[in-house]
This record gives sequence, structure tokens and C-alpha cells, in this order.
Amino acid sequence: MELFFIRYRNVLVLLTLLVAQIVGLAVQVRRTNSGHNTLDPKDGPGVRLIRLWADAVVSPPEKLIHETKLGSTNLWNQYIDLRHTQQDNQELQKTIDRLRLEQAALLEDAKQGQRLQALLNFQEKYIYKTVAAQAIGSSGSDQSRVFTIDKGSNYGLKPDMAVITADGIVGKVREVFPGTAQVLAINDQSSGAGVILETTRIRGILRGNAIGQPQIVNILADQRIQPGEKVLTAGGDLIFPRGLPVGVVDKVIRDPDRDAFIDVIVKPAAHLDRLDEVLVITATEARFSEQQQQDLATSEALKGPEAAAIEEQKKASAIMAERLPGLIDPNLPPDQQPLLDSSNPNLVGRPPQPLHPDRFTPGGANQAAPASGNAAAADADKKSATPGNAVNPAAPTAPQNPETSQGKPQP
Amino acid sequence: MNTMSGDFRRDLEVRHYPILVYALAPLAALVLQAWLPSLLAGNAWFDLPLVITVYFALVQRIPIQGTLTGAVMGLFEDALSGHAIGVNGIAKTVVGFLASSVGIRIDVDNHTIRLGLTFLLSLLSSAIYVAVYRMLLGLKLEWSWVIELIKSVANTLIALVLFPALDRLQIRD
Repeated sequence: MELFFIRYRNVLVLLTLLVAQIVGLAVQVRRTNSGHNTLDPKDGPGVRLIRLWADAVVSPPEKLIHETKLGSTNLWNQYIDLRHTQQDNQELQKTIDRLRLEQAALLEDAKQGQRLQALLNFQEKYIYKTVAAQAIGSSGSDQSRVFTIDKGSNYGLKPDMAVITADGIVGKVREVFPGTAQVLAINDQSSGAGVILETTRIRGILRGNAIGQPQIVNILADQRIQPGEKVLTAGGDLIFPRGLPVGVVDKVIRDPDRDAFIDVIVKPAAHLDRLDEVLVITATEARFSEQQQQDLATSEALKGPEAAAIEEQKKASAIMAERLPGLIDPNLPPDQQPLLDSSNPNLVGRPPQPLHPDRFTPGGANQAAPASGNAAAADADKKSATPGNAVNPAAPTAPQNPETSQGKPQP
Repeated sequence: MNTMSGDFRRDLEVRHYPILVYALAPLAALVLQAWLPSLLAGNAWFDLPLVITVYFALVQRIPIQGTLTGAVMGLFEDALSGHAIGVNGIAKTVVGFLASSVGIRIDVDNHTIRLGLTFLLSLLSSAIYVAVYRMLLGLKLEWSWVIELIKSVANTLIALVLFPALDRLQIRD
């Protein structure tokens, strides 16, 4: 017996390791109600322990490499490569001014929206608190779109928190360790996010394909879905707040497994292949955060009067447009245009006939003709006197005396 | 007779390295595998832990050691990937065992043989990964053999540079 173990020790070690790993895999997979197998999203204690060990071994050198790279980049950018800094600063200041102006103008709408939501008993969740984190490493596998960030449970991170950038959503926190966390990107094959197409309002589930492109799956073929349409988060997955940008439709392909369905390939808004700094949404509330309120107050104080002045100008223009008589109503058919309404005394008609026409008068060639001129010319002249033919709506016209416009003789 | 000749060759040509190399080379492979794809726009079309596993399994010629090295490297890769732990582990366990078993019977100083083995074992690792993921676990996994072929070629090219560099670190009597 002892000889057997010695003789076959290599194969026995191999088999033991294989069996142990197969058993370990079996406890990580579960069968869904639909009969498909899926990975258990919650890791067992043993699996979590292995992940913790791997993170403890790999993350410190990764952090060291990342911080060295960041330090050298900062040294270069902040102390050496300072060309155009002043110009950039000025442009950024202009952008801030413009955004403050826009923010102040939108503030009233936002407040009104909140009031209406409160009336309808609907509470939209706003991003209330975020934690900025650096992406320090990846999974190292082309089959897995998972990356590691340098913040963990010490900063309040928890599993299933949304991870975003200023451009759009990135993924969700999968595993949290004390100093780091693993983020499952939206282009991973095992990810899932509820999304909605902005124009067509078609909803679907976003997940990654084999080559790392996010795609919306399980959608019935629909001709309205066109490349370029924006994709937003739907908010139904309880991870991503509603309305965050996801990307734009890149192309639509047939589902290889089901004829009636299509897959919508999405070009992500966030640069998923070159992630550096990300934001983890640690809290969402039905109100603005203190920082947001501070920003709003600053905008209101600094740019409020300007925004209000612009708003007043817009309102005044709208009122004037309502009061001024319209020559052409786009909602009416051509034969019912107010221009053809002879009962309207404010109509701008043909310019009055000159008392002594000469050859320089418009149409003077006909009028200057002998009294025995041809009847056709006179008839044409009569036709041209109808309001529809007489006025060019695009041409600037001076206000006319109603009596004059009706062809009454001048005193 | 064959076994005897194999043991004889193993006793004769087994290589030794400083303990730091045993510790740092796998660690460096894991760290670089996790860090380099972020510089390459997310394209991880290489497998440094596999190359290291094949190298140490080939030159040490101890199947148990090769098997354990492969298992540990694979499990660490799985742990970092966020996917099921054990898929890469099984693939690299088999690769480590086969590489060390073959290493007993071949001339490991021959670069061409080592590179050829790296290419074949890389393909085998991919095949085992797919088989375990799809057949054993019954999970859906989209797959491209072209990418796996490219990955195998990339691993071979890395081995072309890395193996001679690691050879220089061995302790010579």
C-alpha cells in the first residue's frame, strides 16, 4: 500500500488538487429557476478568503507601482510641463462661469421638478455622496472585465455600489476588502445593468460580450433603434441611479440564438479601457447634497442676476411674439391663412398706388403704356393686387394705414 | 528502464535558483498580469503566470512541485478575476503537471522545444478553461479561438525573452 502511494504520488497529488477544485467550483454555482446555471453572486467564506489572500499579495505592489507612476506624472505635469497652463486656466474659468450661468438658469426648473415629484409622491434619488478612487489594476484576463480600486471598506464601500466617471457609468463594486475593492465593469459577461434607450424608450439589460463590448440583450427586433441613439440607466436595478449616461448605440445585430431578438452593441460613454479615476456612489438621497446645495447657492449668488436677466429677456420676447400679428400661421392650411382674411383691418396689403406713376414705378411699364394698352396686362395687374400675391412675408414691411391698404383714395 | 533513465536525468540536471527568484518571479508575474492590461487598453492577450508555471515546471522536473505551482498561480488568477475560483486553477494544475512530467524526458536547454511546449500548453490551458466553464459548470461563455491562438503566440514570444533571462539566475556549482 505504501509502495502504491509512493509510486503514484504524482498522479495522486494531481487528482487530489483537481477534485478539490472541482468541488470548490460546484459550491460556487447554482441553478436558477429558468434552469440555467449561474455563479453565486455572494461568495462563500472559503472563496472570500482566497480572494482576500490574493488581494493581500497582489494589491500592495500594484499600489506601489500605481503611486510611483502617478507621482512621476504629477511631478512632470505640475512642475515641468507648465506650457499653456495660464491659457488653460482662463478657458476653464470661462467654462465655470458659463456652467454657473446655466446652473442658475436651471435651478428654478429643478426646484419646480422636486415640488411636482413631492406632489406625485415620487422621490427621485440624487447622487448624494461619492468616494473618488484610483483604478490600480485589472483582473489580468481577457475573459474577465474586473478591475481593482484603491479604496475599500475603510472608506465606506460596500458590494453593489455603483461606480461611475464624469462621462458615464463604469460598473459596480463586486468584492470589498479593507484597503481595496474589485469592480465588475459593465462590459463583463457576467455583469448586468438596467438601461433604457433615450428616444425609443425601449428597456433592456446591458452586459458584455466576448470581446469586451457592452451590449443590450433580450430586445425584440425594432426598426426604430438606430446607431447614435443615447442609452441611459433605467434605475430599475437598484444599483445605478436613473438617467446616468451609459453610451450610444453603435450597431444592431441579430441575436445568433433567437431570430426575433436583436443585440444592441453600445459604445460606452466612459473610457472603460483606460480608467484612471472613478467615483463610487456611496449614498443616494431624495435631496441635493450639501456640496451641491453650496454650488447652487454660489451659482445663484454670482450669476443669478445675469440668468434672471436672460430669462426676463426670453419671457419678454415670447410675450411680444404672442402680441404681434402673425402673417403666416404654421398650424393652418394655406387657404385659411390670416393673410387671406379680408375682414382683418390690420393686414399689410399692397403698397398704395402712386398718384403719378412713371416708368420707374413698379409695374410702371404697364401703367405707362397708352390707355389703349392690352387688356391682358391690366388683368394681370388686377390679379397681382390680391393680398396673397402682393405681400412677401419675408420682406420687411412698414405698418400701413388700414384705409390705405383697402385701396381707398388718398386725401 | 525508462523510469530509471528519467530519474537519472532528473538527478543530473535539476536546477536550483535563489529563494528570492522562487518568491518574486511568480509574484511579479501576477502583479504584471494585473497591471499591464491597464496600459494596453484592457487587452490581456498574454498569460504571464502560465509562462512562469511552464518554466519552473520544466526546469525543476518535479511533478508535485509543478502541479502545486500551477494550482497556486491559477487560483490567484481566479481570485483576482472575480469569476469562479478554480477554473484557471484546474487548467494550470494540469499544465504544471504535464510540463514537469515532460521536463523529465526532454532536454530543457533546447529553446525550440521549450517554446514549442509553451505554445502547446498555452492552447491546452485555454481548452481546459473553456471545457470547465462551459461543460463542467454549464455557464455561458462567449469564446474566440483566434484570440486564444494570438494569446498562445504572445506567450511563446514572452517565453522567448523570459526563459533565457531566468536561466541566468540559476545557481551554478
